[in-house]
Amino acid sequence: MSPRNAFAVDGQTADDQAALTRLSETLDRAIDRLDEARPFAKARHQRPVLDVLGRVIALPGGLGRIRQRAARMDAAGLFSGSDWDQPEVLLPQLVAGTLVSDDPSLRALEAASLARFLAVAEGEARHANLHQEGARHFLTQVLALNLKDLFGAPDEAARALGARHDLKRRVLSHIADHIGLNDVLSVLVSEIWRLLEQRSIQVGVVKDMIAQIAIALSEKGTEPGSTRLGAERLVSALFGPTTASRDDPGLAVYLERISVADESGLSREAMGFARAMHDTGLVSDYHAAFLTWALDYENRPLIPEALGLGTTGLDCWQHYRGLIEKLVRSAVSLQTPQAAYGLALLLDRGILHHAPMVPALERQLSLQLRGAARERIALGFAAGDAPETALLAGVLQVLGQPLGVGQGANPTCQSARAIAMWALIDPDYLLFLVTQVAEFDMLQMQFEGTVINSGDLPAGLAGAGPIDADPVSVLLVAHLDRIYAEMGRLCAGRPGDPHKWINPQFHGWWVSRDCAVAVDVATGQLAGYDDFLRRFFAAYHPAFNGGRPLGHPQPAGIAVTDAQQRFVGWHAIAILRVAEDQAGRMRVYFYNPNNDSGQDWGNGVVVSTSGHGERYGEGSLEFEAFLSRVYLFHDEPLRREEGREIAPELIATVRDQAVASWAADRQGAG
Amino acid sequence: MTDKNPDKGYIALLGWSLNAIDAVDRFDRRYVVVAPPWAEDYCKQNDIPYVAWDFDRLNERSHELAHRLDDMGVDVAIPIFEETVEWAGAVNAVLMKNPRLLGQSMLFRDKSLMKRRAQLGGIRVGVFEEAHDRGDVIRFLKRVNQTLLKLDGDPNDPIHFKAFDKSGTAGHRVIRTPEDVDNIPDEEFPALLESHLDGWEFAVEAWIKDGKIQFLNISEYVTLGYSVFVPATPELEEHRARITEEIEKLIEVFDIDFGFIHPEYFLTSDNKLYFGEVAYRPPGFNALELIERAYGFNGYQGLVLAFDPKTTQEELDAFFPTEVVDAKGHAGCFGVYPRRRVVSRLEVPEETANHPYFEFHELSDPREQKVAKRSAFGTHWGLAYFFGDNAHDLRDLLKRQEELDYYV
Repeated sequence: MSPRNAFAVDGQTADDQAALTRLSETLDRAIDRLDEARPFAKARHQRPVLDVLGRVIALPGGLGRIRQRAARMDAAGLFSGSDWDQPEVLLPQLVAGTLVSDDPSLRALEAASLARFLAVAEGEARHANLHQEGARHFLTQVLALNLKDLFGAPDEAARALGARHDLKRRVLSHIADHIGLNDVLSVLVSEIWRLLEQRSIQVGVVKDMIAQIAIALSEKGTEPGSTRLGAERLVSALFGPTTASRDDPGLAVYLERISVADESGLSREAMGFARAMHDTGLVSDYHAAFLTWALDYENRPLIPEALGLGTTGLDCWQHYRGLIEKLVRSAVSLQTPQAAYGLALLLDRGILHHAPMVPALERQLSLQLRGAARERIALGFAAGDAPETALLAGVLQVLGQPLGVGQGANPTCQSARAIAMWALIDPDYLLFLVTQVAEFDMLQMQFEGTVINSGDLPAGLAGAGPIDADPVSVLLVAHLDRIYAEMGRLCAGRPGDPHKWINPQFHGWWVSRDCAVAVDVATGQLAGYDDFLRRFFAAYHPAFNGGRPLGHPQPAGIAVTDAQQRFVGWHAIAILRVAEDQAGRMRVYFYNPNNDSGQDWGNGVVVSTSGHGERYGEGSLEFEAFLSRVYLFHDEPLRREEGREIAPELIATVRDQAVASWAADRQGAG
Repeated sequence: MTDKNPDKGYIALLGWSLNAIDAVDRFDRRYVVVAPPWAEDYCKQNDIPYVAWDFDRLNERSHELAHRLDDMGVDVAIPIFEETVEWAGAVNAVLMKNPRLLGQSMLFRDKSLMKRRAQLGGIRVGVFEEAHDRGDVIRFLKRVNQTLLKLDGDPNDPIHFKAFDKSGTAGHRVIRTPEDVDNIPDEEFPALLESHLDGWEFAVEAWIKDGKIQFLNISEYVTLGYSVFVPATPELEEHRARITEEIEKLIEVFDIDFGFIHPEYFLTSDNKLYFGEVAYRPPGFNALELIERAYGFNGYQGLVLAFDPKTTQEELDAFFPTEVVDAKGHAGCFGVYPRRRVVSRLEVPEETANHPYFEFHELSDPREQKVAKRSAFGTHWGLAYFFGDNAHDLRDLLKRQEELDYYV
């Protein structure tokens, strides 16, 4: 038993004990009533059970009582009619929110559900759709996602929740006492690695999680093993990646140490930083300090080594050393260490050799944010630096990691996708847009010759725009979103899906001019679906398109489904390339602006983010599986006659997968 | 329905109540639910035997319903709500070939007729009158207070206003001033006016078979419209013999052979019992559940036994426990109304939550409700349930709840 166990029976007072016994009896009666009720009458008897549950949980030892009754409550029908009735589809990331819900019956329901998982994980109960291992894994994930509530002082948000946070903490501790934390660390570590593999620009959450691990390691300790190794690798990348920083000495001490280091010692530092950075995609504060310090080190340049540049990057360094040093000086700070990673990748992409880029970055260096644009950047990234520093750092990151752009919690997938695509293939255009908004707080585009000015338009889907995204998105999305919406308005009355016209006008000439849609826009029913599938094969599959590789990314629309194959919504992605993976299976590699591409779309359609030939930030699916979720894509009008020879069985396979999921109730028109 | 005994009666529930259906589905008799067409999908999905019927207005089609049920082999219809009482009467008149049952049900549906019949039968009732418009109400209010020798300017004794055909506290208003009269909406006329009786108000639930009381429960009101508990305090139970006699009078006067009645009485300070009104259907406020909590039998299943012509006396004796002595404790409930004008969330008062008698509540979330100004006794936002050994403690606890905020 750990000292954290707040529910040890010895910790109870006699009053608590009496109250617990009495309430347990009341709970049993409420469960009996629920149990007796016919399935159609369960709902009414659930609330009383939840009401008593809530009070039992609040008592010391209460969670144990709930666990003993968890299987019986489940069988009695406590969860019937709700998502909790299928424990196998519950998402661990939603647990924390429900545990602090302002509805007491939801809190009680979640606690009861967790108690059920715990009872199954401990082998005390069985469940038809939940295996012991599955239950254990779920709880481990829940703990991993909420590690900060198990350790460390509550933050402001937690304090504001008061008793609700207390309940959450007690529930989590109870689970941790039974499950143990070793598993949790391993789940957390692999989750972090999974996220890092995608190389998002926004790493704040990941850095927070690593900090939690660091605290957990030092507070609890774990047994040696691969988990500890993986965890320490992450912790050291952030808090001590090199010889001189290994003991996390603090910046002042660290700068003293390197000021007296010899040449080979400095080389070792620089390479240590570079290795950790490219290993994880994370930049330590020591690394940022080292780079700034190295700018003024006159014996020899340490920047290329500390950025871990490859041959292309080194070549850029040779040509544009002055510019690069200015970028380091202006963009890399203790608030913006990640700019170093963006810069390193930007240089290795070789885009400085693209003629407009050097002047564009020079312009960015001297750019002054004004008015509302300045306020927005200051609001989102205020900590210590000038807003220009935050924006410049953001620019470097977007240009270095185009596929790391995410939409945050905003319905702006189209805008996020556009930013990512421009960063990938049209970087100087992106900087042109950034300058417009930074200086004038507006954006001008044309739609088929009509000038659209975002300053004249009402707010779009995202309202005033996101602030939970990267600086470039924070600056641009509100404007892009309005323009996108306005283009939609200008298409009103045209037959079919407006994206046919919007996408090329909005993104650029490189979007193919024809557009196929799987559904009839007016009815939402599948229309000409087999043809649609044939066209996709003919446009994108190397075996059917004459082996032509995809030149530019192409916007496409996905019908996103959940793990039960149920339709969730339409979503914008970009097809990047189609190629065989290591196993020789044809895959579509694509960009998903939703922050975390790894999603289960049901029936084995699980988006892979690494291990199948993906580059950082790419998601991938086998060609047919991917196609089964596509509802809109672009192709070339001049090549419409290809693809007639595709075997009907191939088309049928894809069709079946679509009809089993998002198109289940869309078969009206065939 | 394979587990149902075909030798026992086949009953029809008139009106939609999930609690009633649930209880009857768990019982040993065949049944069918007669409910409005909106219930059809639900019944199909849940295998609930069902006949669609619109109860809006009693008309010549009642015969059609009766014959449909007769063809199915149904033996008796049980009214679940006030609105289906005369339908049950009409249907049972056909099923049982006893036309008197329709007339009887009409008496239960008209508060004024009901009161006159009781009075004719020698049952003590308070002063009452029918009102067809507001003028009638003002006149009654004045006359009652003149009789009480009130002077001008003295606060009036209240009178009670009850819409003729509404059940329970719906349409029940307490009138003290002419302004109260102005607030009565037109659609609540005609109505019954009654003088106010100061005293102990209580209700009785009686299951009747072959003209005999099979089980008689006394439900003690703490505050009308707020709280009730069963069995009653020993002080009220002392009057059980007299109360039983009163019920027997009702059975005789209303010529009740079988079924279930739910009358209300006043016991005044001069120790006289006054009859208030009687309903031929299950009571509101989940009184049947309180009885189940205290005695352990399901009231709806009791209803089925009392209505089914094929029920035997042995079955009844085995089903019903002995009043008062068999009760495991006292069960009460409190109807919660928000006390504040603006509420944001439900929070059971701490002293209630920690009280050993408090069991649980079924209160709805404030986001599902809005605070309406109470005119008549309105609808509460749900019930809180209590259970304990001591009737007096329970009564005081229920009274105390009226001063507490459940919604803040």
